[in-house]
Amino acid sequence: MPGITQVRWCGFGGQGVVLAGLLLGQAGVLQGRYVAGSNSYGAQARGSGCKSEVVFSDGPIDFPHLTTADILVTMSQAAYDQYCTDVVPGGLIVYDAPHVTPRKGPDARQVGIPATDAALNKLRNKQAANIVLLGALVEMTSLVSPSAVERAIGQHGGGRFLKPNLEAFNTGREMGRQVHG
Amino acid sequence: MTRAMEQYLRPGVKATPFCPGCGHGILMGLILRAIDQMKMDMKKMLFVSGIGCAAWIPSPHYDGDTLHTLHGRALAFATGAKLYNPDLTVMVISGDGDLSSIGGNHLIHAARRDIDLKVICANNMIYGMTGGQVASTTPVGKKTATTAEGNPYRPFDLGRLVTAAGATYVSRYSVTQPVSLINSIKKALRHKGFSFIEVMSPCPTQFGRRNRLDKPEDLVADLMERCIPEEDAEGMSEAELAEKIVTGEILPCRE
Amino acid sequence: MLPEGMYYFSGNDASAEGALAAGCRFYAGYPITPSSELMERMAARLREIGGVFVQMEDEIASISAVIGAAWAGAKAMTATSGPGFSLMQEAIGYAAFTETPCVVVDVQRAGPCTGQATKVGAGDIMQARWGSHGDYQVIALSPWSVQEMYDLTVRAFNLAERFRVPAMLLADEAVAHLRETIKISDAKEIWDRKKRTGASPFGTDEEDGVPPMPAFGEGERLAVTGSTHDDWGFRKTDDPDVHARLVARINEKVLRQEQAIGETESSFLEDADTAVIAYGFTARTSLYAVKQLRKEGLKVGLLRLKTLWPFPESAVGRAGGCVKRILVPEMNRGQVAGEVRKCVRCDVEPLGLTNGEVVPPDAITDALRRMAR
Ligand SMILES: Cc1ncc(C[n+]2csc(CCOP(=O)(O)OP(=O)(O)O)c2C)c(N)n1
Ligand SMILES: [Mg+2]
Repeated sequence: MPGITQVRWCGFGGQGVVLAGLLLGQAGVLQGRYVAGSNSYGAQARGSGCKSEVVFSDGPIDFPHLTTADILVTMSQAAYDQYCTDVVPGGLIVYDAPHVTPRKGPDARQVGIPATDAALNKLRNKQAANIVLLGALVEMTSLVSPSAVERAIGQHGGGRFLKPNLEAFNTGREMGRQVHG
Repeated sequence: MTRAMEQYLRPGVKATPFCPGCGHGILMGLILRAIDQMKMDMKKMLFVSGIGCAAWIPSPHYDGDTLHTLHGRALAFATGAKLYNPDLTVMVISGDGDLSSIGGNHLIHAARRDIDLKVICANNMIYGMTGGQVASTTPVGKKTATTAEGNPYRPFDLGRLVTAAGATYVSRYSVTQPVSLINSIKKALRHKGFSFIEVMSPCPTQFGRRNRLDKPEDLVADLMERCIPEEDAEGMSEAELAEKIVTGEILPCRE
Repeated sequence: MLPEGMYYFSGNDASAEGALAAGCRFYAGYPITPSSELMERMAARLREIGGVFVQMEDEIASISAVIGAAWAGAKAMTATSGPGFSLMQEAIGYAAFTETPCVVVDVQRAGPCTGQATKVGAGDIMQARWGSHGDYQVIALSPWSVQEMYDLTVRAFNLAERFRVPAMLLADEAVAHLRETIKISDAKEIWDRKKRTGASPFGTDEEDGVPPMPAFGEGERLAVTGSTHDDWGFRKTDDPDVHARLVARINEKVLRQEQAIGETESSFLEDADTAVIAYGFTARTSLYAVKQLRKEGLKVGLLRLKTLWPFPESAVGRAGGCVKRILVPEMNRGQVAGEVRKCVRCDVEPLGLTNGEVVPPDAITDALRRMAR
């Protein structure tokens, strides 16, 4: 399958992992890409391990689940430990610093983004860490365009959450630009 | 049944399918009389029933739409039809076992929703069709095919059950009280909400035979003696009331 | 209806939208993972467009309300998963015997019993066919993508209306929870039940064996019963001829149309010596595996079953005639493999996985490599 990018986003239930995957995938669809997204979580809604996987492609996708990850985003140590070795050589790992401590080993570029801290201290909303990470990821990769994500936020994180979500997204983009630039 | 009600029967229906002495045949006629007096349009009437002898009261005899469903599920089928086409007058006619035992959950939920369904429960205090097994309405001590020593468990008080569940018109009469029963059915036809009429209906074949009321007229006489209007019940002692079936409006409706 | 365009939907969302596009205006259901999102979307959307939604007290009530609404004139549906599907079986038999068009979506999860409620399975294939007592037919379709959750829901309604049978969408958790790009377009064929004033609703001389179906309240004075009945709906509970004729007709009207109802899709089969026969999500994995092995030079191909019931015997038989062996990967212990065996003479190897996970690509490539040796 040429032109395929596989993204794995994981953490705990309640951290907004599923929403992040949804926004990422929706943005891809808005840009005309073929996208397949799937989530998995434990039986309880909060606290157990949670993962959202998105496959981007230029053509129809045969097998819609991940075979491995090109990009891994981790919001918890447990998720990092479980998935950090399943990343393609030269791939990208984004983690929520300093709450996740990276190890040596994965043959990937590892970038810490203090998303939870920024959400708490700057945005006064711990719930926004997922959107901060999304902003950073968008700046660090050319996966989807910022404007597509903004439209996706309008569709799925709109209403009274629109303003805080866009604010979190911009905060994340700023952090991503610093890493990148 | 008098020939006068024939216009409400499907062409070709000749006799009732019920045993001699069965109360369901009387009820079959009384419901039609109420419909006649109310000048209902049979083209807009849907009769839904479950499975059992009582379920045959409307199906296929009544000359409206009839829906003979599964054992216990009449109210759920009726809910779907009524919600989709509110112009239909939907009457559910079924047995005590059908409505209150296997269909008991649907009964309380239909009452809770207070959808405009007119439910008539033909209560013969037994599973008639399957050969006279104990029902959730069989009085304590009565003999049935599965309680040779007498029923050890208490029956439901159906009127109180559906009242508690949220029905908005509830009454109980016997087929031996035709005038009051017809009036009650007419009230249900006028009422816009969940109506429930429990109708005591003798079953000589399965109930009477096992409980020393062999001849149909014995069972009718017994019902006539035991079914008393609520006015008469006032002031009676608990012991006196034990053998009685108090009839009347359990929950009158606002008219 | 949704404007034409590309959407990023879950399979459950797509099925709900397909139902609405097909004309569904009545939904009754009871919550169960992994199908609840379908019900939630129907609750919101039927309110928007002016249909009827009701959450019933259980699945028996849900399918019963659906059948009641269908006779009141609605295109009606319910959705559930294994435990609820089990509860619905008696009423599904009622729908088959009374020739009531309706659609049941079963989002299969890992059974038996409560099993693993959030995990995937495909163990209800035989239940869909044989779950109620007596001899009857249903139609069951198997979607492999979110697009097909939409398209095949539309088709299920069309087939239900056209043949007056309960039609099922035998989805699985993996497809129902998958999100994908799907295309919604206005151009689609829609079937409605035929009506003819004064015609008998339960018997016909017409070749297709499907009588017209009026609705309650139209003055037709319908008599509907789940007991054996004559052409007009009168109970005939001890006439052997009436019973034999009715049972034959409700079976034959579907079986005779096996080729029209049955849809399959083949890939790389022309020169293949080994075929994979798969359906639902597993067919996605199978296609991926087949493409991998083609790169290695193995002569493997795929026959995908989009229809499971009536079983597409003709297409399976044809495929079986051209290859030496067949692999049937599925998320159960060989339910469809057994059906395939009935249609072909070559070797049929089941690859049944029941661990609550989808069949992974490796499992299929490994099996095919081994078989090629
Ligand atoms: C699911 C199911 N269980 C059992 C039966 C058998 N059955 C038929 S009628 C009936 C009892 C009917 O009793 P009731 O509703 O009181 O009606 P009656 O015959 O007394 O008028 C039973 C148990 C059935 N048809 N379906
Ligand atoms: Mg009874």
